[in-house]
Amino acid sequence: MNSEFENKVQSQPIREVPPHWRARIVAAAQPQPSRWREWFQPFPRAWGALGAAWVVIIALHFTTPHEPRFTGNSYAPQSFAILQEQTMMMAQLLGPTNADEKPSALPAEPKPRTERTRKELIG
Amino acid sequence: MSSAPNIERLYDDHSPALFAFLLNLLRNEADTQDVMQELFIKLARRPALLENVRDECGFLLRLSHNLAIDLMRRHGTREKNYNQLAQEPMALFANSPDPDEQTFRETLAAALGELSADQRAVVHLKLWEKLTFEAIAETLEIPPNTAASRYRYGIDKLRERLRPIYEEIK
Repeated sequence: MNSEFENKVQSQPIREVPPHWRARIVAAAQPQPSRWREWFQPFPRAWGALGAAWVVIIALHFTTPHEPRFTGNSYAPQSFAILQEQTMMMAQLLGPTNADEKPSALPAEPKPRTERTRKELIG
Repeated sequence: MSSAPNIERLYDDHSPALFAFLLNLLRNEADTQDVMQELFIKLARRPALLENVRDECGFLLRLSHNLAIDLMRRHGTREKNYNQLAQEPMALFANSPDPDEQTFRETLAAALGELSADQRAVVHLKLWEKLTFEAIAETLEIPPNTAASRYRYGIDKLRERLRPIYEEIK
């Protein structure tokens, strides 16, 4: 049981909620639209036109006859064998390579490239 | 799957109690608004929170208390910053046309600010929400004996602080 003092304290009315809070808090608590909606909602016609254009492009791509193109897989095994055969033939024709030959022991002496110019200048 | 809660109905039913509790606890109107907004956003996003809740107001007071504690921790050392903030003068009560009554309200608001946040929460729930110590204990997630002792210490401090003015206007 409350004392007289507690009753006195209890009877003091606390301020009311500021009225403008309601709209703000309720609005903040409303579910937010998804990111996709945020992107697509403002310009639905533009996005629709873009989508339609892509549909047309894809349809044209599949309906237009294409020239056959070489693909890596279509010639790879045969051409690889031919290439190998050609390499072997070249090796037989050329014989051993000069790779084993020793390089010359002494490097070539530097030639007096600037001699004439100097003489001309001095003379 | 749970349906979305009616936020407007929840706000209309419980905002006075939540506002009074949070304002008394946090002693700051902007923080009170932040916590209330956070609470209602949480309820809107997680409708399952209110499933099987018997005492809606008690549950919302508990949620708001937890959010207020989180806010105090985010703002820094709870005891240091909030005890300083709590002692600043603030309009907790409605204005009274009677000057004596107005003085009592202002002194009471200041005296409540001198209590610790824990004591203030218990005193508020006991006096203004008229909760039992068991209900307070459940709301604040403390043992009932702790709730009772915090209330006793809190009300003794208030009585001591308000004795001169209370004797005068009695």
